Amino acid sequence: MSKLKLQTVPHGGGVFGAGVEGLGGLGGSPDGPLNIVHVFWIAGMSCDGCTIAASGATNPSVEDLLLGRIPNLPKVVLHHPVLSPGAGTEFIAPFRRAADGTLGAPYVVVLEGSVPDDQGFPSEYGYFSAMGAGGFDPGSDTDQPNRVTDWLWRLAPGAAAYVAIGTCATWGGVPAAAGNITGSMSLTDFLGKDYRSALGVPVVNVPGCSPVGDNFTETVAAVLLFLANLAPVPKFDELGRPAWLFEETVHRHCPKAGYYEEGVFAEEPGDNQCLVEIGCWGPVVQCNIVERGAINNMGGCMVAGGACIGCTMPGFPDKFSPFYKAPPGSALSGGVSKVTGGAIRRLRRISMKTGNTEPMWDNAGENPSGWSEGGGGAGPVGRANAYFYKKLQYHGSVNQVKRNKKQPLPQSRNILSQQGNRQTGVGLHGERVEHREEI
Amino acid sequence: MCFKNLPIEFDAQGNASLKPGVANPYSYTETPAPTPIEDDPERMRELFARNGAVRRVDFDPVTRVAGALAFHTVVDLENRQVMETASMATLFRGYEIILKGRDPRDAIFISSRACGVCGGVHATASALACEMAFGVKPPPMGVVARNLLLSTEYLYDHPIHLSLLAGPDFSEAAVRETNPEIWERARNTKTQGAAAHGYELMSDLMTDLTPLTGKLYLEGLYYTRLAREAYVLIGGKYPHPQTVVPGGVSTTIDASDLNEIMLRVVKYFDYGRKTAAIWDDLAEFFYEVNPKYRDIGTRPANMIEPGQWDDPYAYDATYENCDAWGRERWAPPGVIVDGKLVTTSLQMLNAGVEEFVEHAFYDEWTGNGDEYYRHKTDPAGNPLSPWHPWNKETIPKPQATSWKDKYSWSTAPRWDRMAMETGAYSRIWAAAQTGPDAFRDSPYIHSTGNSIQINLPKAELPNTPIEWKIPETWGAFERNRARAYCILYTAAIAYDNLQIAYNLLRKGGPDARMSTPYEMPKDHRIGVGLWGAGRGYLTHHLEMDKGVIENYQILTPSTWMASPKDPFGNPGPYEEAVLATPLLENYEKPEDFKGIDVLRAIRSFDPCMPCTTHMHMDGGRTVSREIVSCACGGDVETHDHH
Repeated sequence: MSKLKLQTVPHGGGVFGAGVEGLGGLGGSPDGPLNIVHVFWIAGMSCDGCTIAASGATNPSVEDLLLGRIPNLPKVVLHHPVLSPGAGTEFIAPFRRAADGTLGAPYVVVLEGSVPDDQGFPSEYGYFSAMGAGGFDPGSDTDQPNRVTDWLWRLAPGAAAYVAIGTCATWGGVPAAAGNITGSMSLTDFLGKDYRSALGVPVVNVPGCSPVGDNFTETVAAVLLFLANLAPVPKFDELGRPAWLFEETVHRHCPKAGYYEEGVFAEEPGDNQCLVEIGCWGPVVQCNIVERGAINNMGGCMVAGGACIGCTMPGFPDKFSPFYKAPPGSALSGGVSKVTGGAIRRLRRISMKTGNTEPMWDNAGENPSGWSEGGGGAGPVGRANAYFYKKLQYHGSVNQVKRNKKQPLPQSRNILSQQGNRQTGVGLHGERVEHREEI
Repeated sequence: MCFKNLPIEFDAQGNASLKPGVANPYSYTETPAPTPIEDDPERMRELFARNGAVRRVDFDPVTRVAGALAFHTVVDLENRQVMETASMATLFRGYEIILKGRDPRDAIFISSRACGVCGGVHATASALACEMAFGVKPPPMGVVARNLLLSTEYLYDHPIHLSLLAGPDFSEAAVRETNPEIWERARNTKTQGAAAHGYELMSDLMTDLTPLTGKLYLEGLYYTRLAREAYVLIGGKYPHPQTVVPGGVSTTIDASDLNEIMLRVVKYFDYGRKTAAIWDDLAEFFYEVNPKYRDIGTRPANMIEPGQWDDPYAYDATYENCDAWGRERWAPPGVIVDGKLVTTSLQMLNAGVEEFVEHAFYDEWTGNGDEYYRHKTDPAGNPLSPWHPWNKETIPKPQATSWKDKYSWSTAPRWDRMAMETGAYSRIWAAAQTGPDAFRDSPYIHSTGNSIQINLPKAELPNTPIEWKIPETWGAFERNRARAYCILYTAAIAYDNLQIAYNLLRKGGPDARMSTPYEMPKDHRIGVGLWGAGRGYLTHHLEMDKGVIENYQILTPSTWMASPKDPFGNPGPYEEAVLATPLLENYEKPEDFKGIDVLRAIRSFDPCMPCTTHMHMDGGRTVSREIVSCACGGDVETHDHH
């Protein structure tokens, strides 16, 4: 009883020509165990922010990988809804071949966005996230959109590796937050504990909302370099994160961590000090953004004054909200730091002042810099402090301060102020000027 | 005054009120959508007799757009016409329900995640909605920092559209495949803008638009990064910034930050001049080859533009004064109907908005306008529709796709019950028509009434003034051309704001603070953030009580444009534009058809689907997952914060 249907066209959307599938696959190494790899990028409950983050990566950049600029790496062919030249039927064709095992080349699946709980829907109830239409069986005559979740499980067994990019795909993220009605979950939750890729690897997780683009491209490069027998086997932690990127807390490398140590804290947004009291979770969050920067080594949350809200962590967002409140733990650790750090900070300022004084200025009793408000050397308290400090500093070694005291002051010190020295020079506007008196 | 279809009239002072004596003034009678061709057996038999000239071509997915968009067409390949279109947003995540019951300030971070292409502007619109609700006005430096964030964001956003998404459709590879005769002609056609872009022949320019191997493609990619480097100096990261707060930003800005931003922004002067010349050449070349290219993606010039980039002294975060501070923006607000500016009032822009769900996977919630609804007026007393975002109470209902009934996760937003488009072009169009008297003072941007002149200092290229004129015809090429000019327009705004920032830094004092401290209100408040994204209209409507979000509504540019049909029988903008598109592709038999003209039409709108398909939910009413999956609505208590 099937209704009459219009004919379709075989290459709809293939505006770059039939057979131009995916982006890249240029250059690359013809040798090695792996000379070509297809990457199927799938967006589930996604904002596309991971795509944007990856497009910002610089080391390596996406085009470095796709143009084959890195020696000994395989050809990489990317099938990506935001970047691929072809659309529609032409775009979907290689996904179909991968799903039914006829692609004829190894492939990696990258998932951006979380996985909705729509597998249980009868087909007449639709989908939450769809890509392509018309079912999966060659004989199917349905018009209905194909669920992304159908693609995800169909592509899983044959994938050389399955990579979750971003906090939605790795841990569920915002679409899985309290109150959601889509039942969203992470890729690991969807595929389950026993999932292994064709190469025997569980899901690889590169978190962050959005992730640092370079964290993703570098992880891809690390795996490919390993497969090319160049780099050692990349280490992943117990949650499948690249261990070398996520083993440290973001606080350890934070440019504001020193403020914490000295017990000084920002009181309101825009203050330059440690942000813990305006809601920063950095001391307990595993992330490298302040070290690597957000893009091309620039920026990074706390570098710019943004408090960490834990967006790389499985507990994000609910376990780190409300975002504008200081984490309770910071009352204890921050309080301790205010007491001890406050004392340390004051002592450090004294040492800093000594370090900011040339030994010669101590001897001459003056600071000759025109920027300085005068005075010179350390004051009596500073000198007393320096005396004991230097005792400790040079104990068991040579006291360079003592040696410096024996240095004579140079004759031509402060030459322009010395009497009787006159000499002609050339001024800013080329005029001849006399500006020096005879020694 | 500005409304033709809504039941609103104005008194002599220009105050809006409902027309008196109408029982349910906003109610309407639904006009059913036309029967889809494949559901009409008689028509199908007739078409079958035509031997395969009529084909169904579904672009699922439409690639080189952000997010999940599928587009259904029936094309008549003999007469080179499009017969049927349906635009489908194929993703639903449920952001507003996730926002309910949370601290309103958390909405800044959560709603940013609605869109990863323009997340920064979501964070900003959310902060604006909070500021209005809390009654907090940022210090001038906080506003300027925001202006710098959003101008550098658009400097990344424009190249990504032009070079990575739309550009490849005009590249050598695509043109040779779909119109080889045009490629041959390009090889013998000299360009007009060689002095700016350096290409003597059209064909050389097209070769460099080719994905990955083309120099213009790679250069575009580079410029998407350079602007983001400037952005993250203030925003921390992109697309989801970490420093946007109610009352300003949490960044500490010093002269070094401003220098680093300045040194990047000025590189867009020449890039902007070059890109404008490239898209001028592309448009003029195709128009010359075949004037019908003017009709690719054509539709009436009906546009909506909330404006952006606030004046640091005029912006006071109140709804009452939003008409005044809106008009001081570097991109002033405006609604354009048939090419004419009908209002520049943000209040009228807001009051005219409704969202309909007859063809979307949601249930209707108002009883066609005759049930009680919360906000009969806005805070200034202007009438609001039961379908206005502040009143919205949409109930999601996933179900099978049907062209006749429901086929998209996008709602159908309308202004004065008309489908509107929005984008960089509505921004520059509204700015151009604002005219020399009303447009704010700027040393670099001049509005003439029918054009925008941009005059930036010389960099490597000469400082020839650049002028964008309101085009005579409206379609895909003009959308892309206007977008290209917006690089320079945006760079001028960034440059202007950098100088204000330097001055504030020099001056110091309270104006140079980054944010204003505030107390979180505990009573009932509403607010709206009106601030266009790189690709057009964006609003966040907030309702809060007892310190938590009661209702949160996000209305995005692509919701306007990817819209399905409305209850008045009108298609959404993509649908309308593709229906009007002539099929100029070179094919001998139907089997060869690829659809380049359809794709050029759709991509010229720069679809950005992630945030098109958030979901809407009102306080006091939601649906549990079980209810959703058995497709029946119901009342469930959700005030878990009580």
